[in-house]
Amino acid sequence: MSDLRPITALGAALPRLASFGALEIRENGGLALASMALRRGTVEPTPFGLALPGPGRWIAGQGVAALWTGLDQWMIEAEGRAELDFAAELKQLAPGCSVTEQTDGWVAFEIVSRAGTGPIDALLSKLVNVDLADFGPGCATRTGLEHMSCFVIRRSEAHIAVLGARSSAGSLWHALETAAKRLEER
Amino acid sequence: MLITHPLLGLRDAQEFTYLGDARLIDRPAPSAPDAEAAFCDYVFLRDNPAGVHRELWYHEHGDRSWLVVTRDTVTHEVLGAELARNVALARTRCSK
Amino acid sequence: MKFSGFRVFAEALKGHTGWRPLWRNPDPKPSYDYLIVGGGGHGLATAYYLAKTFGRSRIAVLEKGWLGSGNVGRNTTIIRSNYLLAGNEPFYEFSMKLWEGLEQELNFNAMVSQRGIINLFHTDAQRDAFRRRGNAMMLAGAGARLLGREELRAMVPFLNYDNARFPIKGGLMQARAGTARHDGVAWGYARGADSHGVDLIQNCEVTGFRLDRGKVRGVETSRGYIAADKVGVAVAGSSSRVMAMAGMRLPIESHVLQAFVTEGLKPTIPGVITFGAGHFYISQSDKGGLVFGGDIDGYNSYAQRGNLPVVEDVVEGGMALMPMIGRARLLRMWGGVVDMSMDGSPIIDRTQIEGLYLNGGWCYGGFKATPASGYAFAHLLATGASHETARAYRIERFARGHVVDERGAGAQPNLH
Repeated sequence: MSDLRPITALGAALPRLASFGALEIRENGGLALASMALRRGTVEPTPFGLALPGPGRWIAGQGVAALWTGLDQWMIEAEGRAELDFAAELKQLAPGCSVTEQTDGWVAFEIVSRAGTGPIDALLSKLVNVDLADFGPGCATRTGLEHMSCFVIRRSEAHIAVLGARSSAGSLWHALETAAKRLEER
Repeated sequence: MLITHPLLGLRDAQEFTYLGDARLIDRPAPSAPDAEAAFCDYVFLRDNPAGVHRELWYHEHGDRSWLVVTRDTVTHEVLGAELARNVALARTRCSK
Repeated sequence: MKFSGFRVFAEALKGHTGWRPLWRNPDPKPSYDYLIVGGGGHGLATAYYLAKTFGRSRIAVLEKGWLGSGNVGRNTTIIRSNYLLAGNEPFYEFSMKLWEGLEQELNFNAMVSQRGIINLFHTDAQRDAFRRRGNAMMLAGAGARLLGREELRAMVPFLNYDNARFPIKGGLMQARAGTARHDGVAWGYARGADSHGVDLIQNCEVTGFRLDRGKVRGVETSRGYIAADKVGVAVAGSSSRVMAMAGMRLPIESHVLQAFVTEGLKPTIPGVITFGAGHFYISQSDKGGLVFGGDIDGYNSYAQRGNLPVVEDVVEGGMALMPMIGRARLLRMWGGVVDMSMDGSPIIDRTQIEGLYLNGGWCYGGFKATPASGYAFAHLLATGASHETARAYRIERFARGHVVDERGAGAQPNLH
């Protein structure tokens, strides 16, 4: 039997990690993702005790989180469960809903600032057309980043996550790295 | 241009793709006796006014919703936007 | 007044006191045999050929603003006949032949310059498609040459041949293509039409059509009612608005197309280069400015100005193709309103209203068609039949399913 070894979205054995000044960008290889959509006439569930957020919002629970992705649709995240069948687990907790496994369709980058909100805001200003006055902790949106469609999540003042298509993980890393480097050089 | 998304507030028009005249919602009945001519008009003809225009925009880099945007084609001013699904559902109810 | 080198020399000795206006500025008469609505390139060319070639008289051109105030002065001046489809290629090649004799025909310097056009390709599949297009061009007598990468590099060494996404593999060249001075074309046709007795009436906006039992009787204008037997509308960009006054809906959306020019630079770009994959094309004017553009903005617009996302898209394409353009400084940018038709091809046809004719739907490519468009429209107005190269441009093609869709994009105007 072949010796199969899993690789990350960026093609390495271990997730990539790099620092640029106060910013740290980390490939989050362990994040499990599943999308969930209400069907007509179903009751809105509360999977893992999550009160599903409204438009433009993200909410975190114990090791799981949910972000609104469209009318009656959410993406559910679970830390460290990428190797498990998270979608099946979610399906049990969301009766009548359409649940789809998403983990391997995406790459997730966690970006943390060691100097407060300033560097995060500067990075976002460079990369996305999002009104930062209205993008505090608990906000999440899909938008274009260098022509790539991405989810941007504000996990806290100094911590954002960018979820992009796994097939363009390298280009997304390049965009984030370039912007972060330029901020560092400034 | 900034489009006033009914759920997400002001969003850059770059996040959207454009389909055209909102009358494309009104698909002709395929079983009507004049269906062939009606479909020809539906597919090919447009009002194309200079001024206020109701048109379909798709929030591709966003929540993937279809919007009916009311916009002035002379000034590019966006005058309003609503979810196309609400527009379509309201019409279905009217016709019943 | 005939232009010649001798005349310029003689006038120089007289302090240039002998030059006269190129055309009269007459008031409208109560009636004409032929009214052409629209004093742009196509309308003026129509009037010229109608009078000169088809020998018709009692002709007037009605222009809302001043002659040549619309798209004929807002385009990027490219002339070419490098189409694929049988409905298009003979028409554009007919236009190319008229361009080649235009300055002698009009006795006017339109600065027609056959400096060539190169369409770049980046994959084997694209090379095959361009070879096919080149064969179609050669069948129509337009001439074409497939250039390999090294041959191309010798001609235009400044391109980025090793772009990671779109490495340049070669190009399809039409050596007879090039550029022309766009305003000069309008002025030349205006002067020619005027000298054959056509009344060019400016500041005269058509505000309505007078129809009677399915036949056109004349037009209402901002300068009063003018009766006419036949009315030809050539107002691309505003075709829908004008034809709506006659109760017609058209297979057309109006879109804005932007163009850009840099400050004058030393000669660097030998011809026209198009980078279709990157939504960018460029040439250099005789004055030295780099003239370039890209895609339409993609939404209905009558604004004659576009928005920044397309500016970004165009300059990204420019930087990807020829990084040296980053050192050039942009001088002007502007927008023009174009008739985007449902198949990307024009309409030259009669309408259901007797005596009312339409010339429109030129999308982003009307300038190169100016001579043939005028000729074919004059042919239609004078004889009642389509010109042999314009038979594919009947409006009924949409109902019959015989669309002329070079791009294969379907009834979605912003994708053509």
